[in-house]
Amino acid sequence: MEIRVNPTRMELNRLKKRLTMAQRGHKLLKDKRDELIRQFLILVRKNKDLREHVEEELSAAFSKFLLARAVMPAESLEEALMYPTKTLSLEISEQNIMSVYAPKFNWAEEDTGSEEDSSIYPYGFADTSAELDISIETLSSILPQLMELAEVEKAVQLLAEEIEKTRRRVNALEYVLIPRLEETIKYITMKLEESERGALTRLMKIKDVVRAKM
Amino acid sequence: MPIDDTIYAYSVGRVRALETRLLDQSRFERMIDAASGEEALKVLSETDYAAAVTELNDVHDFEYMLSAELKNIFDLIRDISPRPEMIATLALRYDVHNLKVLFKAKYLGVKTDLLIPVGTVDLNKLEYAVNEDDYRDFPGDLRQAAENINEDFLVNRDPQIIDLILDQVLYKQLITLAGEYNSAFLEGLFIRQIDLTNLKTLIRVKRMGLDREFLKKVLLPHGSLPADRLISLTDEPLESMITALNMSEYADLIEEGVREWLEKGTASRFEKLADDYITAYLKKGKWKAFALEPLVGYLWAKEIEIKNIRIVMVGKINQLPAEAIKERIRNVYL
Repeated sequence: MEIRVNPTRMELNRLKKRLTMAQRGHKLLKDKRDELIRQFLILVRKNKDLREHVEEELSAAFSKFLLARAVMPAESLEEALMYPTKTLSLEISEQNIMSVYAPKFNWAEEDTGSEEDSSIYPYGFADTSAELDISIETLSSILPQLMELAEVEKAVQLLAEEIEKTRRRVNALEYVLIPRLEETIKYITMKLEESERGALTRLMKIKDVVRAKM
Repeated sequence: MPIDDTIYAYSVGRVRALETRLLDQSRFERMIDAASGEEALKVLSETDYAAAVTELNDVHDFEYMLSAELKNIFDLIRDISPRPEMIATLALRYDVHNLKVLFKAKYLGVKTDLLIPVGTVDLNKLEYAVNEDDYRDFPGDLRQAAENINEDFLVNRDPQIIDLILDQVLYKQLITLAGEYNSAFLEGLFIRQIDLTNLKTLIRVKRMGLDREFLKKVLLPHGSLPADRLISLTDEPLESMITALNMSEYADLIEEGVREWLEKGTASRFEKLADDYITAYLKKGKWKAFALEPLVGYLWAKEIEIKNIRIVMVGKINQLPAEAIKERIRNVYL
């Protein structure tokens, strides 16, 4: 379906300009899409590895935790973990991947205590099980990976959205706008040619009439 | 002052009757073989726990049942014991737990529901004391410790300090009390508990990669294994612990526990053996007719039974393999 326009030369020029613009946009967007997908694939692979790793470690940590839970009364366990030795401060900035603004986590562990070397274990040893140590240790060691995973996963999500959007734009240009413009241009050219031919015939006819009268 | 031992006649008789109702090994095995947490509870409902089990709305509430049972048993033994103050020493552990909870809750500015109502000091009094910084009613060293915590925490804000100070003062107090009551039996029990805790702490500290200075801070006082000896083992590989301590009475336990710890990286065996060791120690006094031993033994047996039930229930609800549960089940006192 073509665009409804007056078949004038002015209109034709305008449309031609729009067409070149659309084609240029199409090419650019296509490049953008390809690059996005490339970035996306890199991140997705990283995400997959990270996630598998983290899930494995987490489930191990949880099963250890379960065992610690089994050998300690609920009250003792809760008491042991009541007051954390470390707090985490999280600062979120942006990182630009192909003009997609993904979050970047900057985080730092802070000791709640003023002693610099306070351990990650906020409890005493007499009333707690050693199985708790192991689960706390695992949990604390996967925290950095967990943060990275969160970062990567969000980036992947945002990239996926952006790819979707870009692809829709590329398709709209490729299958709708550009064909329409082309059709309309063709229509106007034909119309113009037609009227040109009409004018020509009329001219020849008039010439004949004039010549016959002489 | 010499005490007429026959004053124990009634309470020991009572305990003899109660002992027969402790859960035996085969009962735990049936629980482990049960298909689910609910099934395991059913096995439990054939025992003394029947009444408590029927009151449970949900399997996950079994912890309430165990807490209630613990309180009942302590109240009972304290009531029937001719010298309740000696039984109270065993409840001191719960006072210390409550203190830890209260201190942490105070510094965090939160309310807590983690108190265990088994201790010797009334919970409201304890709460009041901690909140108002008024420790006048605390027994002996505990008051000093409470004040120390207050000072130390405000400077360092390290929650571990709370636990460490209180654990140490607990065992110090226990040894003092055992001396005051002139009870070699209680003293023996506490010393063994201290030694076992210290051994475990040594391995844990090594595993955490912390140094001897730290170990020095966390070891409990008054153990039979000299602290210097333990501290000197910090920098040596775990294996050397086996040889270094093979002359102590804990040799077998250390060898098996440490080996398992090295191979599988879990402390479960060591902890089980440690509990079994105490059980064995208490069993020796089980058949004394007029003495404190059977009462203490029964209390311990009950604590172990509760621990075992917890292990089985947590294991069953979370579908741990039967093996994992079995290797953690403590020997029963029977």
